[in-house]
Amino acid sequence: MAPYTGIPLSPAELQYLHTSLSQDPPIRPDGRSPTQFRPLVAETDILPSTNGSARICFPDGTEAMVGVKAEVEKTREGGQNVKGEVDGKTGKDEEMGDDSNRSARSGRGWGEWVEIGIEIPGIRDDDALPIFLSAMLTEALLADAGLKDTLWINTRFHWRLYIDILLLSQPLSYPLPLLSLTTHLALLSTRLPSLISERDEDPLFNDDWEASTHLYPRSKADGSSAQRPPITLLVMSVGEMIYFDPSADELAVADAVVALSVTSTSTTDADALPLKLVALRTIDPPSRLTAGGVPNVLSTTSTTGTASTGTTGTGGVLAIREKDQGQSVWRPPRGGVKRAVVGRMIKAVVEKGGVGMEVMAGLAGVET
Amino acid sequence: MQTDRRRLNAPPGGTTPPVFAAPPDTKLHRPTRTRKPDEHRKLFLRTGIVPSASGSAYYEIPPQEPQPTALLVPQRSSLKITCTVHGPRPLPRNAAFSPNLLLSAHVKFAPFATQNRRGYVRDASERDLGAHLETALRGVVIGERFPKSGCEVVLTILEGEEDGWGAGGAEIKGGGWGIMTVLAGCITAASAALVDAGIDCVDLISGGVAAVKDAGKHGGQENAVVVLDPAPSEHDGEITAACVVGYLQSRDEVTEMWMKGDAGAQVQTLIDEAVKAASLVRAVLAEAVKDGVQAKIDEAEDDAAMTGSAKEGKGKSKEVVMTG
Repeated sequence: MAPYTGIPLSPAELQYLHTSLSQDPPIRPDGRSPTQFRPLVAETDILPSTNGSARICFPDGTEAMVGVKAEVEKTREGGQNVKGEVDGKTGKDEEMGDDSNRSARSGRGWGEWVEIGIEIPGIRDDDALPIFLSAMLTEALLADAGLKDTLWINTRFHWRLYIDILLLSQPLSYPLPLLSLTTHLALLSTRLPSLISERDEDPLFNDDWEASTHLYPRSKADGSSAQRPPITLLVMSVGEMIYFDPSADELAVADAVVALSVTSTSTTDADALPLKLVALRTIDPPSRLTAGGVPNVLSTTSTTGTASTGTTGTGGVLAIREKDQGQSVWRPPRGGVKRAVVGRMIKAVVEKGGVGMEVMAGLAGVET
Repeated sequence: MQTDRRRLNAPPGGTTPPVFAAPPDTKLHRPTRTRKPDEHRKLFLRTGIVPSASGSAYYEIPPQEPQPTALLVPQRSSLKITCTVHGPRPLPRNAAFSPNLLLSAHVKFAPFATQNRRGYVRDASERDLGAHLETALRGVVIGERFPKSGCEVVLTILEGEEDGWGAGGAEIKGGGWGIMTVLAGCITAASAALVDAGIDCVDLISGGVAAVKDAGKHGGQENAVVVLDPAPSEHDGEITAACVVGYLQSRDEVTEMWMKGDAGAQVQTLIDEAVKAASLVRAVLAEAVKDGVQAKIDEAEDDAAMTGSAKEGKGKSKEVVMTG
């Protein structure tokens, strides 16, 4: 196995994969269509001592579990404003009635109230991968101000949400979509006890779990959530082609890998797009660290090649490798991705009836 | 998370920066953006400043307007980044074989870089920036020309972009937009330093930022405006989305893209504007790289002249010996 990448493929195999993925129509190693996802096993509400939990198992053997815990915490006093501006503002808010509670909440939440911890076996928690993953998931969650404001209880107290993500298996392929989908399910099933104290009293909660409210409130009609937590999808490009849910083998030949986070829009307008993009990051593809192949003309062992090893100096070898440009043998990809390709990826996820909607609908079908 | 056990540290949970009372007769004004939406702040870039490193660069966005003297707390933050590149150098003996250059990036804020003090151990946001930077740079360097070698890109941020306006005691409650400007600066500085170190690259990479400003709240306009190079202190909670790109102009490709926030229907415009910002920065970058190369040529010529004169001197002394 190649060091630093963990890709057990030779340059010839990589070239074969790359060619089959870059032709139109493409052939994926497992016979899926470019937008097709691998089947998965999911269950929610599995941990009794959490506010919400979920487990997802991918067919390649990777499995993740998420537990969401909420704790009441005293809100730290805001900035000491020498001019007393903050004091004036709070006074005004207290005059509002309960009916405007929702509007009084808006903009009150802090991003720090949501904490995501990721544990991946065999990787230290200060390693780049878990930190990158948790940053990606956090910024997608916080892009929607609704979650932060739901955590606001009154001017003195708030909920603190701990989202603990456990990868139970080795990270065989890039674990981002798995962790994101599991987090989505766990947050959908998360419930907070209902509040019975009023205004700025010390919070007192109803101990009836049946009366608890969902963190993402559900519509009464069909029990599905109107607001939904974001999902993060991994999309990769090979040449002009784009692929969803790439497996480890496919990632090994990717030209570019992009993680897109989408969430549902709250508008009821029929013309508006059902999903909106809240975060996007490019991810360093493992293909950049793979070993390049040796062109036939440079091979010293080949009998058919016109190997004139004596005459080609270092400059000559470099020139031949450059001239080949990865046409006859595998060469790790260079440069980045075209803007137009990124645009097509976004469109494929966000558009009506696109991949994002499909995944959201699939996850909504998971029995709680 | 790893804790710093080598030093006596401040109590955990963060310290509060001091708040200075303004003189009674002064009125504090939040800085406003006086630039046009498609105008980038002026920036300064120079290569070859650290002689012991194989490549280095210094990047600064100086304050564009003079600071009012009555205030102690700066009205606008200015960004100052130094970058050093060490390598390409052989991997340690116990490391596994690598057919490519192993590039690693370390980003560290100086403890005094922002209003809230940063510790000495890299925290999560700094590691995250490092991961972004690695993604941006690994696509640019031609790794297969340096087998069995490693290269370290070290960035120190001497002064960071604040997330908001800190003067007057108002607590900074930013959406983390300042860090995006920092990343764009890091990409540009690292690119200049890589060229200075003489590492083969496919193109110069420059970083650019653009943001969607929600003008509906304040300006009364229907459509949100996309602005280049936002300074968070100038936009009070108006920014709804921002995008950083690491852009290769001659290939028209991006190796790094980081977007967050809800840009609505303006996603494509936002990306295009960020690319425009990166192209503006590239002009400065190309000029700085050219200056750096010219300085090296001049130095080499001076050295040649010096050694030439030294040889002549030797010859003369020989002559003296011979005649003697």
